[in-house]
Amino acid sequence: MTVADVGRKAPRRPRPAPGAGRRSPLRVLGMVVVLGFTAFNLLVLYWLIAASFKTPVEIFTKPFALPVRWFQLGKPLRNFAYAWDQAGFGDAFLTTVVLVAASSAAIVLVSAPAAYALTRLGVRGSGPLTNLIAVGMGVPFQTVIIPLFIGLSTVHLTDSLFGLFLVYVALSIPFTVFLLTGFFRSLSDEMEEAAAIDGASPLRTFFAVMLPLARGGLITALILNAIGLWNETLLAIVFLQSQAHFTLARALFTFYGAAEYQSEYGGLIAGVTILVLPMLVLYLVLARRIITGLTLGSGK
Amino acid sequence: MATIAAAPATQRGAAGKPGPTGTSGGHLVRKRRLFWPFLAPALILYVVFLVAPTIVTGVLSFTRWAGAGDTPQFTGFAGYLRMFASDSFRSALVNTLMYVVVGGIGTFLLAFLFTMVLRDMPGGKLVRTILFFPNIVAPVALAMFFSFLFKSDDKGLANFVLGGLGIDPVRFLAPENVTLTVIGALVWASSGFYITILMAAVDRIPPYLYEDAEIAGASAWQKFRAITLPLTWDVVGVAGVLWTINALKIFELVFVLAGPGTYSPPTAAWTLGIYVFDRSFGSQGTPDYGGASACAVVMIALTSVFVVLLRRLMRRDTIQF
Repeated sequence: MTVADVGRKAPRRPRPAPGAGRRSPLRVLGMVVVLGFTAFNLLVLYWLIAASFKTPVEIFTKPFALPVRWFQLGKPLRNFAYAWDQAGFGDAFLTTVVLVAASSAAIVLVSAPAAYALTRLGVRGSGPLTNLIAVGMGVPFQTVIIPLFIGLSTVHLTDSLFGLFLVYVALSIPFTVFLLTGFFRSLSDEMEEAAAIDGASPLRTFFAVMLPLARGGLITALILNAIGLWNETLLAIVFLQSQAHFTLARALFTFYGAAEYQSEYGGLIAGVTILVLPMLVLYLVLARRIITGLTLGSGK
Repeated sequence: MATIAAAPATQRGAAGKPGPTGTSGGHLVRKRRLFWPFLAPALILYVVFLVAPTIVTGVLSFTRWAGAGDTPQFTGFAGYLRMFASDSFRSALVNTLMYVVVGGIGTFLLAFLFTMVLRDMPGGKLVRTILFFPNIVAPVALAMFFSFLFKSDDKGLANFVLGGLGIDPVRFLAPENVTLTVIGALVWASSGFYITILMAAVDRIPPYLYEDAEIAGASAWQKFRAITLPLTWDVVGVAGVLWTINALKIFELVFVLAGPGTYSPPTAAWTLGIYVFDRSFGSQGTPDYGGASACAVVMIALTSVFVVLLRRLMRRDTIQF
């Protein structure tokens, strides 16, 4: 990013004639927007984390300053303690971790064999079937919540984490199957044929050869579903009513009104941070995989 | 992407058929026996939780039904006519189209501008990672952040900064302004995703094309017009489809920013997604499952129309490079 960096990279490609295309107004405008945009994102992140340690007065009167008051009072984690204990984010955190882990694992468990069947078994009609499932990605959840709610309530699975688990798994299938068909299709036939010649049964070929080969795709699918479900709000609002079952996003949604009413802004922002921080950590570790995974379907 | 996806699978099916010789033929048959056991769990869940409910919603949209304790009554198109005549639906429809069209134009203009700069910018990868970041944050959390940013009194962060510059506070979240405010928030939150998709396509363009253009003295706009846009056209089309699908169901961002949080916002700020939610699970009054279903049908119809239109508009011969 420094001048020295640019100098070092220069020999790779021939430099254009001095000034040619470099300083066009559009480019300068673009540069300004890009840098402004990037700076704004970093500022948002700073504001969020700083504010989660502040008192309401500090949040509103010194939005860009570092937190001071709670540190002076010797209770730096006061907002987090409030959100965690009083507002139910502690329970919600555990619920969310378990629900998201179980759902993501189940989604991949169901989708991987389906994607394999649709791409590598050479059955006629696989193409149209794949498209039929992929079309499901375009269906807004609003279109299905009413019948799903009625159906699940007749079998007493509303306001139930198992009911929400079923909904999460089923509604994530179109995206996951579509993503994984891309991965399975990109595998070469040779390994599969070699396994067949060595006498491995088709089932064994799938588990011992194809699944390990598609491991990257399976992990990507697992992570993307985990992020999506961690952040999911609409279905959680519809299918969970009692606080004991709330997920983090659901708890935050409910806490918002109460926090405004009680001026409990510190606790509210701490709640936002509790929801955002795990995803941020995941993102810092796995940014490349998350980005390529999420943009994969569109590029090819 | 759907039609492209179909091609290799059918070829495989055709190629596999004429060669049932010896062990490989027997193996093929045994392999195909796996098809239904492997596909069935996913397909059954898909049909039961997605296909069937969509059909049921379609049927319910022709009824009047207040939910549990009431029996659905067939009313034909009366429910639709009532809905189209209501102010709340009209503003929901207009607002949703605003998000899709105005937000879409804003997002793609921004994304195009970024492709011109990011391609050969030092530190571009890091910048892209930072730009993408809002996409992993829950919309409900983004909405909370924006509610702090845009609070109407002088408490809000934006008005705090404006006040520092000597400008009077702006009521960003008042019903008449909130749609524009949320469009801005939406463009900010989603542009990183579309920038990343477009940049993945731009990175595949051979650099010598740009170098030749630079030597010929092309401006940034000319390079974009003559190289970037034509060579990423297909990806732009897919990105447009994704945008439409996502923007049409916008819910949390508007619900939290325009309203008190737990209850629905004023109808002037509604979107179709909020209309469906309010009429079915919103906390006020008796539910109107028939009306909510009718609006849900409008949502899926709009999605289909937009997607088909976009694919038609963007269709052209593939450029090989």
